[in-house]
Amino acid sequence: MEEEYEILESTVKDFNSKYVDNNSLKLENEAMGKEFVKILADQGFFSMAGQGEDGKGTDVKALSVVLENLAKSAPAVAVKTLMMNSFSAAVKEKEIIDSISNGSKSGTVTFSDLLVGKDQNGSLRMEGGKVKGGKEFVFGSDSNFVITLLDSGELALIKSGFTTGKKHKKLGFRSIGFSSITVDSADFLILSKEGRKVLERMYEELSIPVAAIALGMSEGVSQKALDYAKVRTAFGHYLKDFQPLAFDIASLVAEMDILKRYFHDLLGGTPSDKEALFLKHKALVLAKDISRTSLQIHGGYGYLEDFGIEKFYRDAMALSVLFHNEEKDMEKLAGLVFDSRAGFV
Amino acid sequence: MDFELSDEAKEAIGKAKEFARTHFTEEVAERSDREEQFPTDIVAISKKEKILDFSNPWKVLVTIEELVRRDPGLGISVTISAFGSEIFMLFGNDEQKEKYMNPVFAGQKTLGLGVTEPGGGSDVANIKTEARLDGDTYILNGGKMFISNGQIADYFLVLARTSPPPSSEKKHRGLSVFVVDAKSPGFAVNKLHGKLGVRATNTAELIFNNVRVPKENIVGEEGKGFYYIMTFFNISRIYVAAQGLGIAHGALDRLVEYSKKYGEMSETGELNENLQLAIAEIATRVEAARNLTYKAASYLFKFTPNPIITSMSKYYAADTAVFSTRRAMELMSLHGLTTDLERFFRDAKILDIWEGTTEVEKLIITRMMLKEEGA
Repeated sequence: MEEEYEILESTVKDFNSKYVDNNSLKLENEAMGKEFVKILADQGFFSMAGQGEDGKGTDVKALSVVLENLAKSAPAVAVKTLMMNSFSAAVKEKEIIDSISNGSKSGTVTFSDLLVGKDQNGSLRMEGGKVKGGKEFVFGSDSNFVITLLDSGELALIKSGFTTGKKHKKLGFRSIGFSSITVDSADFLILSKEGRKVLERMYEELSIPVAAIALGMSEGVSQKALDYAKVRTAFGHYLKDFQPLAFDIASLVAEMDILKRYFHDLLGGTPSDKEALFLKHKALVLAKDISRTSLQIHGGYGYLEDFGIEKFYRDAMALSVLFHNEEKDMEKLAGLVFDSRAGFV
Repeated sequence: MDFELSDEAKEAIGKAKEFARTHFTEEVAERSDREEQFPTDIVAISKKEKILDFSNPWKVLVTIEELVRRDPGLGISVTISAFGSEIFMLFGNDEQKEKYMNPVFAGQKTLGLGVTEPGGGSDVANIKTEARLDGDTYILNGGKMFISNGQIADYFLVLARTSPPPSSEKKHRGLSVFVVDAKSPGFAVNKLHGKLGVRATNTAELIFNNVRVPKENIVGEEGKGFYYIMTFFNISRIYVAAQGLGIAHGALDRLVEYSKKYGEMSETGELNENLQLAIAEIATRVEAARNLTYKAASYLFKFTPNPIITSMSKYYAADTAVFSTRRAMELMSLHGLTTDLERFFRDAKILDIWEGTTEVEKLIITRMMLKEEGA
């Protein structure tokens, strides 16, 4: 890893030990609070949009290093950071970008239009110069700004005039709002006429950052399992001495290490869509597998929130649903692998 | 070989289905889960309506499966009030059966079983709770962990050490089972909060601080407690397998329903093959788990228990529950995340752990097989 990213990694580790490690359950379960969000912003974690080459796009490498390391302790904080950067990258208004960067405002992009089928995610239409209607699955609905698709196919930034509706169940990332929204707004901007295409591209660009969070979660939860297996005894032996547990976790850590190397290789170059999707696909599966095994190693204690394991189990699945759709991603992946449309009869 | 359930069992399924439809509303299930609240009212109704008919174990088995299929937290809460009663049935004396077991079967009292300890987990023989004879009473000191019905049980069957083990290899000797009244002085309970799933069930830590237990409250023979508990686990694991079947089948129900409403169609107008194959795989695993569970039950209910098949059924049904909820979540996308399926996903994981972890079950299977073959 290049020196600047090693410094960044070290900065996030310090941040975790100062603000997150002793607070991670609260940051997972309760709203993060303005003070904490401001601290995150002050670190520059929300300002990676517009920091890429030539000042365009996002510095994906830096963002991914930050996300991976935040996710080791608090996946919800990593996801919040991803959402803020993803939002910022989509807008051009300096005032809005500044408000996101300094943590005074928050924004979200609704990818649900891509994740569920047509007619399942509500409807937003233009009527008399206003955007009206509602959206069903808005992750980050407690944000100040929402970017979403309109029925017309345009991508709109709703700046005000929306209210949150029915709150959805929260398997993971419970500190981040997740509900439907109702919109009646004249305060909006059209970001693109070809909204779905732009949204698809934004979704694809999430592959590596999402994989970074999944990998960070895998590292965080497996470390807890390794630590526990070294001190907890049963039948007169440390848990690490029992083959079923030792072999299972060792195999998953091996997989994680290989994926991490692949991840860092990709960060060192310009990953193709195929490589990014390979990484995302495998990292999400690994996060689910390794959190299950880590919970299992903790036995009954793993089932209790105080041990900080069960949240990884929930978050791993939530991540793979909120930023991933098996059907959609596998169709794309199969197409890239076959170098032609595949997975359609 | 007959794979058909009896008419009585079929009737029990119908009764359970109707009870769950009436009382396990999403509002109640969601609230019980969110507030970690034991469904006292529903359990009382279930007892009044005699949802569990203890005179026929097949009816108990299929009732558990059906209620859990509707909602795991509520289903387990309703069907766990007699947890441990088989120990009375097999090893208790007439007075104990009359005084403790019958009121539980009549729905008047609730039972709990105290085996697992904070430092013990699967290592049952290594428990630290002690019972020291003092005149006509035993004095219990120690603690138990992750005890179902901990806060609501009237009586507990508690495993405690009554004499030192003859050697470090024979720690399972010198353990005894006692009936402890929850009102006993020195007995305290701490409810455990923040569980991943089955949050409607009541789980607690038990503390025994010089709790005096009458000598007549020892169940069976002194020193044979480990054997009694292992015998009980070979029964209860079949009911846990039924919980697994219920959860897995519940996930399948939801995935099938989703596929009808929202399943993506291929260009030929059929349901996408990926979804079709997942449904087939889950359905096959549920059926295989059911056959194993019913086979284990069949041996047990004829009083010829087969611990190998029992452990296979518990391990496989638990794994199927975890597998099915995970696959359904992955395929249903945001629909899974925002419906009661997410609760099933959280609930399923405990089955990998309680009543013997999956790893323990696998070890039992192999060791028993090798033993049978004289290895």
